[in-house]
Amino acid sequence: MAAYWPHLSLLILIAVLWLLELRFYNIMHHIEEHILITIIALIMVVSFGQVVARYGFNTGWSAALEFNTIMFSWLILFGMSYGIKTNLHLGVDIVLKALPKPVEKLLALFGALCVIGYGLILLDPFWLEALGFKVRGGAIDYWAKMFKIGIGAEELRYPMWAQEWFGIQARVHRWVILSPLLLGLALMVLRGTQAFIDIFTGKREALISAHEAEDLVEENKNILAE
Amino acid sequence: MDALILFALVLGLLFAGVPVGISLGLSSILFVTFISHDSLSSVAISLFGVGNHYTLLAIPFFILASSFMSTGGVAKRLIDFAIAAVGHFRGGLAMASVLACMMFAALSGSSPATVVAIGSIAIAGMRKVGYSKEFASGIIANAGTLGILIPPSIVMVVYAASTDVSVGRMFLAGIIPGALAGAMLMLAIYVVARKRNLPAESWKGMFYLLHAGKQASWGLFLVIIIMGGIYGGVFTPTEAAIVAAIYSMWVALFVYRDMGPLQPHPWLQDSDTDVSRVGFQGTAYGASLFFMVSILTFFAVGTSEEGMQASHWLSITIVSAVVCFAYIQWRKTDDFSLANALAAAVPIWRRNVGLMLKLLIPAIFGGQSRQTILEGTRTTIMLMFIIANALLFAHTLSAERIPQMITEWMVGIGFNWFTFLIAVNILLLIGGQFMEPSGLLVIVAPVVFPIAMELGVDPIHLGIIMVVNMEIGMITPPIGLNLFVTSGITGMSLSQVVRAALPFVAVLMVFLIMVTYIPAISSWLPTLMMGPEIVTK
Repeated sequence: MAAYWPHLSLLILIAVLWLLELRFYNIMHHIEEHILITIIALIMVVSFGQVVARYGFNTGWSAALEFNTIMFSWLILFGMSYGIKTNLHLGVDIVLKALPKPVEKLLALFGALCVIGYGLILLDPFWLEALGFKVRGGAIDYWAKMFKIGIGAEELRYPMWAQEWFGIQARVHRWVILSPLLLGLALMVLRGTQAFIDIFTGKREALISAHEAEDLVEENKNILAE
Repeated sequence: MDALILFALVLGLLFAGVPVGISLGLSSILFVTFISHDSLSSVAISLFGVGNHYTLLAIPFFILASSFMSTGGVAKRLIDFAIAAVGHFRGGLAMASVLACMMFAALSGSSPATVVAIGSIAIAGMRKVGYSKEFASGIIANAGTLGILIPPSIVMVVYAASTDVSVGRMFLAGIIPGALAGAMLMLAIYVVARKRNLPAESWKGMFYLLHAGKQASWGLFLVIIIMGGIYGGVFTPTEAAIVAAIYSMWVALFVYRDMGPLQPHPWLQDSDTDVSRVGFQGTAYGASLFFMVSILTFFAVGTSEEGMQASHWLSITIVSAVVCFAYIQWRKTDDFSLANALAAAVPIWRRNVGLMLKLLIPAIFGGQSRQTILEGTRTTIMLMFIIANALLFAHTLSAERIPQMITEWMVGIGFNWFTFLIAVNILLLIGGQFMEPSGLLVIVAPVVFPIAMELGVDPIHLGIIMVVNMEIGMITPPIGLNLFVTSGITGMSLSQVVRAALPFVAVLMVFLIMVTYIPAISSWLPTLMMGPEIVTK
């Protein structure tokens, strides 16, 4: 049972986030969007700073590249569940539209199940083992390994004050960097479940948008019609 | 056999309406779990490792730059410039629309955004002077696709990242095909216009052309920054994208003032006197020239040992000052002197700079700018989630040695480069119907790239062929993105738009054949500028 503490903490974290969202939906939604914007802005500031530092002052931050690539990963990982929540992800709806409404709804429910499955299998496929399949690995498994050996990042260091105050190692722990992978996948499961319930109760129609310009076209619908 | 299961899984999920990214990712995960029995940790790590593709990091910032540039104001300036340049030919307004689409496409890189921004102004304009609605919409739907071919283009970044060729080369390679496609569309329009006797605009003179060009130049300079920065060796493509994003944010908020808190404050106000106007414009030209030439000089010498020298700065300053004085001397009347004009310009500058400083923080962090960044971020997430999962999928394919198997099979049954390229064209034209271009590229490129190398096809040439195929996929039914968008804004039915676009799609098909079988169109310029491509794989 002791090996399951990452699962439990993740579950509690997601539950807390979910409860907070139930209570303060607008604030939480705002925070989610601002996290994404902040990540983009951070990459922009660091990279631009690098260019200025290189040509203006002939210096630079050795960990800038590593920092940017990590932030980029975080953006995708936090963003993917946000995409499910806000109906952002693209899909092919040519078959869906040709089918009768009840079947379309059924397929949308299936899509939500796929989202949940994607998150759950990647997090930890142990539940498939219970169904009789042989599986190995998973995100939590890998994260737990990293946590145990405490290996650090290649270039990225904790700031000096943090090293002194908390007496930690200089290199940023790999498990810290990897945590958004777990959180992102767990949020994916949460959003998938919410989508499933919403589609089931008829609050939401589809899981996908048919093309990337759906909003744009909606805003400019028939502006040139005569 | 296993390969067939994998492909069947993806297609099944895709057509069941599962999000594209999830379809690709889940198929790979299921395949790894149940068929190849590998560890899922490696899949999870590759999902995390998508950020390590440093080249792909250019994508969010090209998208951001385009979000700031895709405003109606920019579209209006480009259309004015295009009309001033080619409007006086027969069918000139239609040709100008193509030219405007090409320029807008270079700035925004997004085909639907091009169709909406240029189309909403240009189609209405063409209707007014007597073009048929079908003709006007058909042109815009087609010309809007040029966005992914004219650099900077996101699809090219994706191709470069997934096959390890240089982004710079791909961008260079896109210039001639992009110009050629535009020229072919314009030629087709000219022929139709001759036959149908379509109207021509009046030639408004060289001065008007210069004026319109000046208006558009702040936007178009974005392309110079990106291309110049990359070829000067000053930036990596990713840094170029970030600088481009910051530049376009600055232009949109502070120079063009199409959005943000400075929107209600034009540079010049009605109360400004003629003297101060002349002085202000002269100094503004001087300052702009100084800014642009400094950047170009920096691109040229920035990476050399010495960098920018005092002599560079001095000569740029002198040239800019001369231009400034010459303009004022030319425009000034007998009522005032050069010194008067310069002095009168000071309050205007003080007012504008003061406003910019005062509103700097609200402009950058304010509602409209934040909204634009959020839009860009959303597009990035949508695109990157597909690319990330397509990478997982491509990873699974190569772990199963499927590309090698297909290569051996194709070479074995006697494909040569000629027939192979036909096969690639057909595969992509069909695939482009159902998949987002970047995602399709990530999957198809690793499969066809080794075959192409085996058969002696130039990697850059192959990339351009793939991009042109994606482009045509956007305007062929049943799922051509540009057809939907055009139908959406014009209120025409989808089949009407398809019929309207068809003649010009035929032109692009001829273009595709030319690009496929004349490698020099795509490979001549990059080879000329950067030497022959060396394939390391």
